[in-house]
Amino acid sequence: MMPDNWGFVIAAYGLAAVVLAAYWRFLSRREKELDDASVVRQHQRQGAGFSEPHARRPS
Amino acid sequence: MVVVWKDLLVERRSKETLNALFFFALLLLFIFQFALGPDRERLAGTLPGLLWLGFILSGLLGLGRTFMVERENDCWEGLLLAPGDKSAIYVGKLAGNLLLMFVIEAILLVLFGFFFNLDLGGALPALAVVIALGTVAFAAVGTLFAAMTAQVRARELLFPVLLLPVVAPVLLATVKATEAVLLGESLGSVAHWLKLLAAADVVYVAVGVLTFDFVLEA
Amino acid sequence: MKDRVRRLFGVTTLVGLAAGLVMGFVVAPREATQGNVQRIMYLHVPSVWVAYLAFGVVLAASIVYLVRRLAAADRLAHASAEVGVIFTGLTIATGSIWGKPTWGTWWTWDARLTSVSILFVMYLGYLLLRGMIDDRERGARFAAVLGIVAAFNIPLVHFSVYWWRTLHQPPSLMKPGPGTMPGIIVTALLVNFAAFTLLYCYFVTRRARLLRLEAEAEA
Repeated sequence: MMPDNWGFVIAAYGLAAVVLAAYWRFLSRREKELDDASVVRQHQRQGAGFSEPHARRPS
Repeated sequence: MVVVWKDLLVERRSKETLNALFFFALLLLFIFQFALGPDRERLAGTLPGLLWLGFILSGLLGLGRTFMVERENDCWEGLLLAPGDKSAIYVGKLAGNLLLMFVIEAILLVLFGFFFNLDLGGALPALAVVIALGTVAFAAVGTLFAAMTAQVRARELLFPVLLLPVVAPVLLATVKATEAVLLGESLGSVAHWLKLLAAADVVYVAVGVLTFDFVLEA
Repeated sequence: MKDRVRRLFGVTTLVGLAAGLVMGFVVAPREATQGNVQRIMYLHVPSVWVAYLAFGVVLAASIVYLVRRLAAADRLAHASAEVGVIFTGLTIATGSIWGKPTWGTWWTWDARLTSVSILFVMYLGYLLLRGMIDDRERGARFAAVLGIVAAFNIPLVHFSVYWWRTLHQPPSLMKPGPGTMPGIIVTALLVNFAAFTLLYCYFVTRRARLLRLEAEAEA
C-alpha cells in the first residue's frame, strides 16, 4: 500500500493550472493589443478629425 | 530530362560529398572507439546502435546538401519555374540520395568490420535487406525536408531538428532488426519490424511524391 | 455580440473544468494500489487524448489548405498545433510527476512517455518551421506539408515504441488499460476529456482569431 503523495498531485494540477492560465493571459493580452490597433487603423482610415492620444501612439 | 538531372547532380555534388563523408565516417569510428573504450563486451552490445548512428549522422550531412548546388549557383528560380510535374525532380533527387547513402553505408560497414574486427559474412544478405528498407524511409523524408529547409533561415539547424523526430520510429525498427540479424536470427523473426519499415517506405515516398509540387511552387 | 458568445464559451469551459475536478477528486475513489497519486491520471490521460485530437485537426486543416488555399485553414492548423504542443508538454510533465512516486524515477522510457516525447519534438519543429519562414504563403504551404508528414508518423511512432518496450518485457502493472478499469474511473476520465476538449476548442478559436488579427495588422 503506497502512502498518499498529495504533494505530487498538487504539483501536477498546479503546473497545469499555471501553464493554461498563462496561455490564456497571453491570448487575452495580445488580442487586446491587436484589437486596439485595429480600432486605431479604422479611425485613421475614416479620416476622423479628432485627435486621440491613442492615435499618436506608435502601434 | 529526369535522367539528365540525376546524372548531373550525382556527378558534381556526390564526388565531393562522398570524399568528405568518407573522412567523416572514419572520424566517427575513432570517436566511438574513444567513447566506448576497449571493452569488447560493451561494444558488441551497442554495435547495432553505433552502426545506425553512423548511418544517420553521415546521412544528415549528406542529405542536407541535396539542394546545395541549386542554392549556391542561384538555380532555385530554374527549379521553381520548371514546367511539368515537380515530383519527377523529387524522384530524381531521391534516387541520387539513395545511391549516396548506400555507398556511405557500405563504406561504414567495411570500416566497422575492419576496426572492430567483425565477421559480417553470414548476416550480410539479411543485413542488406534491413539497411535497404531503413535507408529508403530515411532518404524519402530527408529529400523532402531538404527541399523545404533549403530556402529557410538557419537551414543547417532546422533540417536535423525536423528530420530526427520523424525518423525516430524508423531508427527504432532498424536497430532492433539489425540487432537480431547480427545475432544470427532469421529475417522472419523480425518480420513485424520489417513490415513497419516497409509501411514507412511506402508512406514517406508517397507523401514525398504527392507534396513535392507544393514545396517547389513559385 | 461576438464578445458575449465568447464569454459564454469561456464560462462553459470553466464549468466543464470544474466538473472534471469534482469527478477527479470527489467522485472518483481512492485507487487501491497507488493511492491518491493516481488522480494525476485524470489530468495526464485527457491531455494526451486532446493532443491527438489537436494533431488530427492539424492534418485535416493542412490538407484543406493545400487543396483549397483557404487562409482560415492555415490559421486553424497553426492554432491547433500550438495548443496541441501545450497539451503534449503537459502530458509529459504530468506523466513525469506521476512517475516519481509510483516508479521512483522522474523519467522512464516507457511506451507512452517515449512516443509522446517524439510527438512533442515533431510538432515543436512544426512551430519552429513556421517561425523561421518570413513569407506568409510559403510558411503556410511548408507547414501544411510538415503537418501531413508528422500526422502519418504518429501510428509509426506508436507501434515502433510499443513493440520496442513490450516485446521483451512484461507490460507495466501501473499502466491503466481501458478494459480493466472500474466504471467510475472511466467516467471521470471521460468527463475530464470532455472538459479538456472544450478548453482546446476555446483556445484554438481564440488563437486562430489572434492569427487573423495579426495578418490584418501586417496588411
